[in-house]
Amino acid sequence: MQTKSLITRNELNEKLSVYTRKYSKRIKGTPPGVCPVTFIRSFVESASSQTCGKCVPCRDGLPQLSKMLEKIIEGEGDEDSLTEIVDLATTIRDTADCAIGYEAAYVVLQSMKTFREEYYSHINNKQCLGEVGEKIPCVSYCPANVDIPGYIALIGEKRYEDAVALIRNDNPFPTACAFVCEHPCMTKCRRELLDNAINIRGLKKYAVDNAHADKVWLPKSNVSTGKTISVIGAGPSGLTAAYFLSLMGHHVDVYEAREKAGGMLRYGIPNYRLPKDRLDEDIRSILATGNIEMHYNCMINRDISMDELVEKSDAVFISIGAQSGRLVPIEGIESKGVASAVEMLGEIGKGNIPDYTGKKIVVVGGGNVAMDCARSAIRCNAESVNVIVMERQVDMTASPDEIFGAIEEGAELLTLHAPLKITSNENGEVKSFIAQPQRVGKFNSLDKPTVIPADRDPIEVPCDIVLMAIGQKIDSESFEKYSVEPVRHIFETEPTTRVKGYEKIFAAGDCVSGPATAIKAIGAGKIAAINIDEYLGYNHKFKAHIAMPEPKQNDRTHYGSTHLTFVSARERRRNFDPIENGMSYEEAMQECNKCLRCDHFGCGVLVGGDI
Amino acid sequence: MVNLTIDNIPVSVEEGTTILDAAASVDIKIPTLCYLKEINDIGSCKVCVVEAEGYEYLLTSCRTKVEEGMVIHTNTSKVRAARYQMLNLLIANHDTRCFSCSKSGDCRLQDLADEYNVEYSMYKGVKTNRAPSKDNPFLTYYPELCINCQRCVNVCNKIVGNGTLHGAKMGARTIIDAPFGPDWKETDCESCGNCAQVCPTGALMTKNRRAYRVGKTSKVLTTCPHCATGCQFYLIIRNNEIIDIEPANGPSNEGKLCVKGRFASFNFAQSRDRLTHPLIKNRKTGEFEQATWDEALDLIAEKFMEIKKKYGPDALAGFACSRSPNEDCYMLQKMVRCAFGTNNVDNCARVCHSATVAGLAMTLGSGAMTNPIHDITTDVDVIMLVGSNPEEAHPVIGMQIREAVERGTKLIVVDPRDIGLAQKADIHLKLKPGTNVAFANGMMNVIINEGLEDKEFIKERTEGYEKIKEIVKDYTPEKVAKICHIDPDHLREAAMMYASAGKAPIIYCLGVTEHSTGTEGVMSMSNMAMLTGKLGREGCGVNPLRGQNNVQGACDMGAMPTDFPGYQKVKNPEVIEKFEKAWGVKLNTKPGIFATDVFGAAINKEVRGLFIFGEDPVVTDADQNHVRKALESLDFLVVSELFMTETTQYADVVLPGMSYVEKEGTFTNTERRVQRVRKAITLEGDMKPDTEIFIEIMNRMGYKQPHLEPSEIMDEISRLVPSFGGISFKRLDNGESLQWPCPSKDHPGTPILHVGKFSRGLGWFYPAEYKESAELPDEEYPFIMMTGRILYHYNTRAMTGRTPGLMKKQGSSYIELNTEDALKLDIRDGERIKVSSRRGEIYTKARVGDKVSKGETWMPFHFPDGNANVLTNAALDEFARIPEYKVCAVRIEKISG
Repeated sequence: MQTKSLITRNELNEKLSVYTRKYSKRIKGTPPGVCPVTFIRSFVESASSQTCGKCVPCRDGLPQLSKMLEKIIEGEGDEDSLTEIVDLATTIRDTADCAIGYEAAYVVLQSMKTFREEYYSHINNKQCLGEVGEKIPCVSYCPANVDIPGYIALIGEKRYEDAVALIRNDNPFPTACAFVCEHPCMTKCRRELLDNAINIRGLKKYAVDNAHADKVWLPKSNVSTGKTISVIGAGPSGLTAAYFLSLMGHHVDVYEAREKAGGMLRYGIPNYRLPKDRLDEDIRSILATGNIEMHYNCMINRDISMDELVEKSDAVFISIGAQSGRLVPIEGIESKGVASAVEMLGEIGKGNIPDYTGKKIVVVGGGNVAMDCARSAIRCNAESVNVIVMERQVDMTASPDEIFGAIEEGAELLTLHAPLKITSNENGEVKSFIAQPQRVGKFNSLDKPTVIPADRDPIEVPCDIVLMAIGQKIDSESFEKYSVEPVRHIFETEPTTRVKGYEKIFAAGDCVSGPATAIKAIGAGKIAAINIDEYLGYNHKFKAHIAMPEPKQNDRTHYGSTHLTFVSARERRRNFDPIENGMSYEEAMQECNKCLRCDHFGCGVLVGGDI
Repeated sequence: MVNLTIDNIPVSVEEGTTILDAAASVDIKIPTLCYLKEINDIGSCKVCVVEAEGYEYLLTSCRTKVEEGMVIHTNTSKVRAARYQMLNLLIANHDTRCFSCSKSGDCRLQDLADEYNVEYSMYKGVKTNRAPSKDNPFLTYYPELCINCQRCVNVCNKIVGNGTLHGAKMGARTIIDAPFGPDWKETDCESCGNCAQVCPTGALMTKNRRAYRVGKTSKVLTTCPHCATGCQFYLIIRNNEIIDIEPANGPSNEGKLCVKGRFASFNFAQSRDRLTHPLIKNRKTGEFEQATWDEALDLIAEKFMEIKKKYGPDALAGFACSRSPNEDCYMLQKMVRCAFGTNNVDNCARVCHSATVAGLAMTLGSGAMTNPIHDITTDVDVIMLVGSNPEEAHPVIGMQIREAVERGTKLIVVDPRDIGLAQKADIHLKLKPGTNVAFANGMMNVIINEGLEDKEFIKERTEGYEKIKEIVKDYTPEKVAKICHIDPDHLREAAMMYASAGKAPIIYCLGVTEHSTGTEGVMSMSNMAMLTGKLGREGCGVNPLRGQNNVQGACDMGAMPTDFPGYQKVKNPEVIEKFEKAWGVKLNTKPGIFATDVFGAAINKEVRGLFIFGEDPVVTDADQNHVRKALESLDFLVVSELFMTETTQYADVVLPGMSYVEKEGTFTNTERRVQRVRKAITLEGDMKPDTEIFIEIMNRMGYKQPHLEPSEIMDEISRLVPSFGGISFKRLDNGESLQWPCPSKDHPGTPILHVGKFSRGLGWFYPAEYKESAELPDEEYPFIMMTGRILYHYNTRAMTGRTPGLMKKQGSSYIELNTEDALKLDIRDGERIKVSSRRGEIYTKARVGDKVSKGETWMPFHFPDGNANVLTNAALDEFARIPEYKVCAVRIEKISG
């Protein structure tokens, strides 16, 4: 008889799982700038550690593949070595029985296409491509390259004003970003190797709550240069450019079609996420640099012609954003009660809050704007809010916090449903929304699963109002001759933000990239300002010097990460008051203390190792 | 103060001190490898780790700041074990065939390995398979010796500010991307070698250093013989031969050197073509024949006495050498004044900064740089750089300006060309050559209109304000913009930026002086500084960058027709009386004629006998054909030289002098700092120290001059020159660094001039009006030509031309042309073209680009194959008689076929 034991081999595996978690954190924290070939080799190494040892191609092939890659990395390979790798990897892919073998080989083959130049650089120059080289993760991932370790250290020293001033060296919207930045800085935070990424946005919020931006000292603007730059659009990109140009001593005329500045920060993001009075703090400090003249309610080619502007300015910066909402071209779209999300949010931004009492609302879309729309509708006292989303919840582009917040506040998510038709009553008013159920299919070329119509009957959602939040388009008709791409209506620019074919016209932000985040627009606005200055023949220095605190030794204790909490759903759904709670002093100091100071202990001290 | 204990010793240091420095303060030496104070503190090698109680991990002492109550142990077993491991890891990847490495014995890694008993690594390392880079004529990089400490990268980027040396990656390994490979000429590398200087191993070395090992060498501290920055360095000597140069941490160079200083400062002295015997020209054959000193000196005395008797003492003249020490210059002028009996003595400042000497003396009372180099490149708000390209002409000052700009100092560049620093400037006023006075008046117009003038300073410390105010009223930005070909906005901004800055020095050079209105240009600089109260205090002033290593000294020593040593005026009877008493001879009371006027006087037979000490005016002076004609007209010409030159061809007697490595003395740098020059070697041959030559001639001409050693000559100078009153070899050899005025033995020297009061009493606003250059382009000669220096050469190339690596980098002449002009003339980049002026024609290569503006051209003056001075105009400034090198009209022609 054979005895069975309760203790299985998995016991060992369970112990190992601690280390697999460590491993995946290590992978997640891969710093920007590592050599792709070296990374792929380590991938093959870990793949070969997983082999069961049955199939020759995997068991014996992967170690050989690793050696071959090593040879390339060390600059000892040639064209033939690449062919050998392709031959072996192809064979492993085609012969291994299980994914441990064939998928590893597939990844190697794919990497040889993606990183072809890097492979060749190792062969021909015996070194990596110029762009390989580690960078400070948070700083280089921030589109505005804000000195994040610096301001965290300043917060840690309770020098909140200096922290805000340091942020403003690169980003004049510390407050807006404290509330709504998508914080790409946190994605590769090295702290992840120990416990979790630092809550950078939370700390920034702590800073601006303790030192309001409009009360913080500004760098002294340069003496007047006598040059005038016209900025079209007072959104994050336009005002950022205006801020830096003003610090450089240029006179900036900002033309804004609406009645107030801020762009989508004011007219797209609802007050409960970014309170208007806080946004105004940033705007007030931007205008306080002294050389900016605002022209509100001024529309290009209505109140002033573009040609005239180009004629009278030393340079022009177009930052008109993506202002109008897209609608899905489905049957019934012209019914009364159908609107775009930007229209709805724009009105709310102006202070015209609609009364949805007794109304059933359908919101179409799965992004953050759809969530803004749904959550705003709830605050307008809607009877019900249904959000129709094509994809699965995990694939939605809205941030998990936003989705969860909307659901908590009472929005219903109808995922995997595509818009089909809007029905209306005899008055042409919306009656219901008909959606086609979808199912998830293959991955597309972007490595995302596609959705396809499911073999099910359409569903009907009764409603009075349909809000489309499926994207925005750029109103670039007035600028058609200035290198506007005809399909997406975006401006075609060089990497310097200069509009292609024009000397003194620059453009950046959503109107170039298509709808994107505020911080991207801010980063682009800064680049534009520097390049406009350079185009005018200057190299004005504009950064304030701030003495930095001495870095402390790394605290290697593992801490849980501090998440910001919210006002309860029951409370917050009643009005547009801000919903996010800030950090306490203790929380903020614990987060600050976690910073590993990659600018001091890491690659940041190497020449070229910052961004 | 922070209190801690290190190895049980209580230490109290200032907050912000590193553990390393705190330990050093109580003589505890923590070993370091990658660390270099203020240059490299990245904490890479971990050799300097220490243990601190209460800290779980070891601390990197070079970059960890002390904290109150720390208890540090620097030499525990844990610490030693860590250091031992680090050395093993490094040595595993290091080629340890030390026998074949000339750094052996002078290698930080080797020293530490010895100390920690690491004979060979316990690990098998990865030896790099990268090939060495060694095509650069001066520098090599051997990757198998590199420990990737990043010292070289940080020096290049942070200290030199050149930024061509970088770290790169090879997979997970860091490598150094040294630009010394086959494409070295095309890189931005300036070959300054500061990287090699800091390499702790033999990885990055100069070729000079590769040729020897320490131990058999000795060192002599001296002063660089190139520009007037006054860099301090050691000559490295083996068997009476100089084989290398090592920088010293001098006040003006702070451990840095440039390509010329490091690589071109001794080859020339030891060159085989040095003159080793006196030569007398055989009148019949026209050939030089070797002579004895007695023959040569007697002939000189006889001929000069003959001319003096026949035509009077003023038919004689002497030029001093501003590359030679103060003591030499002093004795030369003494010879001219006491033995020749004339004040016809001058030096080559006449053709570079005589306008400064005259101009600033008139307005401020002292014709010298007002503030030290360190002071105007550290912690200042704005630097205004006018007509100066320090990156090439004063490279070590250029490095310090780059560093300042990197730290956030604003920079205004006023220069007709897109010089390197213009790319880093907040504003670049690319003005038309020869319009400096208009520019300065425009600046003042704006400053006054904006109410930014320093009213109190003007009232308390200056005179002539009302008049200048009246004059500049007319120089509106719009008017000035038209004259200068600039944007009026740029002028307004520059004026406001300069005037409103807290600390802002004006730094200028030959772009201001070398004009027919050079002196007024200089005075316009002091006008701007006075108007804004930026004189007599830190980080400000009017700062001419003097050209030659000792041109400041040559002027100080009285090698000037109007001034006795120490700027004591010939015109002043009390001064005459003083020197007559001191020198025991009746002196000529008539001011002499300027060097640039000597040529005309020679042609007119007013000057018949000339003694040229170490100058080559045929090559360096404006309008070469005119100079040749003048030298031909002389009755008797003596040249004291190191080499045969274009000028010696015209001499009757050529005397072999000595270079700066063969004699004792002092140079005075641009910031008035008197620094020692020391004898390092004795060369074979019959050369004499120049002071002795002059003493011999004086005695033979009947003036009893006892023999004096250089230190005794300095003692005589200090007795006669009040501003040198406290300067002696003794003080300098004791390590003191003195800037004149230093009136007494206990005076520390004067870093900043005009504090509280101008040397002249009240500062004078000179009422300068803009005048056009003497020769403007016209139909026949439609281009303006400027001349200047390049990084890799010095003037006639007497020194740099004998350094083959420099000739490899740039060995022939060229002319910079604007792209549009070149297109019109159908001239391509690199094409050989003809350039002519009213004075002559030359052939040279076109360098086409946008560095110069349309209608303007620029030529380096170093090269005999197309000597710019054949073309230049000897139009002289009214006050200083400086020629207008910076503007002449030329014609550019394509060579047909």
